Amino acid sequence: MIKNKKSFLANLAIFFAILGPGIITGSVDNDAGGITTYSVAGALYGYNLLWTLIPSFIVLIVIQEMNARMGIVTGKGLADLIRENSGVKITFFIFIGLLIADIGNTTTEFAGVAGSMEVFGISKYISVPIVSFMVWILVVKGTYKIAERIFLIFSVSLLTYVVSALMGNPHWSEIGTAIIKPKLTFNTTTIAMIIGIVGTTIAPWMQFYMQSSVIEKGLKIKDFKYTLIDIVVGCVATVVVAFFIIVACASTLHPNGIQINEAKDAAIALKPLAGSFASIIFAFGLFVASVFSATILPLATAFYVCEAFGFEAGIDKKWEEAPEFYVLYTGILIISAAIILIPNAPLIAISLGSQVLNGILLPVVLICMILLVNNKKIMGEYVNKPINNLIGWSAVSILIGLSLLLLILPFFS
Amino acid sequence: MALTFFLSRTLGIEVYDTHDNFVGKVCDILVEQNPVKTDDEETARPKVTALKLKISKITRYIDFDQVSITKFNGKYDITCKQVIQASDETINSGLPLVQCILDKQIIDLNGRKLVRVNDVRLATIKTGTYAIAVDVGMEGLLRRIGLSKSLNAILKIFKSALPAKFILWDDIEAIDFSNLNIRLSTTYSKLNHLHPSDLADIIENLGTQAKTEVFSSLDDETAADVLEELEPESQVHILENLSVEKAADVLEKMPAHEVADIMDELEPHKAEELLNEMEAESSHDVRELLEYEDDTVGSLMSNEYISFNKRITVGHALEELRRQKPEDDMLYSILVTDDKERLVATISLRDLVVETPETELHQIMDVKLITVFDDDKIDSLAEIISKYNMLAIPVIDEGSKIQGIVIIDSIVEDLVNKRKTNKR
Repeated sequence: MIKNKKSFLANLAIFFAILGPGIITGSVDNDAGGITTYSVAGALYGYNLLWTLIPSFIVLIVIQEMNARMGIVTGKGLADLIRENSGVKITFFIFIGLLIADIGNTTTEFAGVAGSMEVFGISKYISVPIVSFMVWILVVKGTYKIAERIFLIFSVSLLTYVVSALMGNPHWSEIGTAIIKPKLTFNTTTIAMIIGIVGTTIAPWMQFYMQSSVIEKGLKIKDFKYTLIDIVVGCVATVVVAFFIIVACASTLHPNGIQINEAKDAAIALKPLAGSFASIIFAFGLFVASVFSATILPLATAFYVCEAFGFEAGIDKKWEEAPEFYVLYTGILIISAAIILIPNAPLIAISLGSQVLNGILLPVVLICMILLVNNKKIMGEYVNKPINNLIGWSAVSILIGLSLLLLILPFFS
Repeated sequence: MALTFFLSRTLGIEVYDTHDNFVGKVCDILVEQNPVKTDDEETARPKVTALKLKISKITRYIDFDQVSITKFNGKYDITCKQVIQASDETINSGLPLVQCILDKQIIDLNGRKLVRVNDVRLATIKTGTYAIAVDVGMEGLLRRIGLSKSLNAILKIFKSALPAKFILWDDIEAIDFSNLNIRLSTTYSKLNHLHPSDLADIIENLGTQAKTEVFSSLDDETAADVLEELEPESQVHILENLSVEKAADVLEKMPAHEVADIMDELEPHKAEELLNEMEAESSHDVRELLEYEDDTVGSLMSNEYISFNKRITVGHALEELRRQKPEDDMLYSILVTDDKERLVATISLRDLVVETPETELHQIMDVKLITVFDDDKIDSLAEIISKYNMLAIPVIDEGSKIQGIVIIDSIVEDLVNKRKTNKR
């Protein structure tokens, strides 16, 4: 029967079929690294850095919209497009950088696994090997897609941060004032913190992930408005969660002058201040987020590197068909898990290092992206509108400006 | 003596004429698009026809006949005896290697997959200069970044070398022309030799533009086989971008039940447009199948089947088969009816072939009928075919009237798809 009806229900059905890329990307965004950065920012600066989430939110939406549009119009991954249009040297630089940064990021995810399990009294020498093995099996045995769905449901648990935050009795009037008129002294620590927040909210590898998932979903340009809704929902979720993590730490840890270095410190410190339930919820959210990202990140990285350099890739391929892909994937997992298990490993330095690397890579990837999305030969009639370019280029300049400031400032103080 | 060289290493080289006048910097090399195989050669190789040069901001094309490339101390030297502007015909019929091959994906016909080109190997022999192979290995990649020499020097100590991999020009098909302004008249003729399911895998992985381009270049028969093998999203994408005429031609070549499956995925108005364009006979079968709900046997069955009245002779039946020339899968189960067109038995092709021509069908037919109703659920089918070892199950309605047959392939395909969706 050929049916021809376009009711509200039909529209809703289309939306749910298209739903995914934006929301999944948004959830992966709040990974262990993100939670750590937001917690530290809240503990250190109180509500005073909350405003950074507003520009981050706008830039995030603009960038993901460009990714989705490029994916739908070209049907090609971002790595493919960069390789084909920006030359092999830039490609090599980006992807070696991405590989190193992502090993660092994955390490941070495992630190999140280890930390959250320690809150529940489980040693990292037990939790990390078990989790990394399970993640590996999940992907190699090809049940990844089911896992992705389960994680997506679990990622709703990230909303528990809202509960954690509310249990700390935040001062809403103070939050309002801090967003409009933040009290900040500009020094290297503050700038580093701001770059950290922006960098973790708009991580370079997410752009590649977003574009691939749009292609994999087989989305069409005429359904673009639904994709846009999906993106906006994802971005709102990301920023709301980030907001409440900062608030949770800002309203409890900051007034008491408690300094933290890791997300798990926040979970532990919350216990006497907001009750053990808040602490457990915080730790559980951290665990789910860490495992989710520890699954996706190494997989995604292996995939883009192979895509850019022309090796076969994909979880539907066998080990013999795509050896480079599986070696890379396994390698990233093993190295990251192993670093965590080294006693007294410099975890904070690693997480800081990978964030700085992210910060350097982000403008490079963004510049490539904006050039690609403005290329008529590639995008045809779907090239950027002036407003996209304005926001895109401003974001690039501000990011580069901040990074330069971070490098220069130590010489003046 | 043949001189071989790499495309990547010629780029940016300054070309001078015999009087040491600067002609321009190499920015691309053009080769013939459809090389002809000559008798004394085993493979067809495209000849280099022109050089694309750049002087400050101006681009110019010069004829390659007057150009010579020499290698001296590992450095390339390109001189031009006489600068002749390449004709428009040469330029338009030429395949620019940098624009269309280098860093792009091509089809490796032997490996039956997409590979990315790291470099192109060319060779000069007495009859001219030819593109002979593409480099898809690690060594080519590192050469581009400028690391291959030093790494190879280190590896030499360990008596090893960087893995190099070349594919001969005859074994590749270039597909990515998205960077070209003019449309090439390439036919992708080599692709028709690939197995349809391999071709489908390749097409799945292409960009949106190349997907449609490669598909529409295939002949209708191949295209129909490929379309059957594609994932639903790609089927929809291709049918929406193909011209209605071509799409209808391809769909007519496909079994009705496959077409019906695709129509279910399409937008109603697009499906209607295609059905109207198809020949009445083909579209009628499809429309019939479209009436069924998704999870019922009817949506999976094929309404192309063979049936005979039980009173005709074996000889008559065979003659009829010769006349109809049915597809393989239609013969999996030959149906036998009574005078009221009701299904009464099946008969195997084997029995028809081994019996004497005078035998009447009711004497040899198999009356132990296993059938399903057209509104039965699909889930029941797998169990039936595995229990009774059948290749096809007859489908009937309440009044024993034949509706079609479900072929084992469709059942397996349905099972595989269900498993895939669970994995996703």
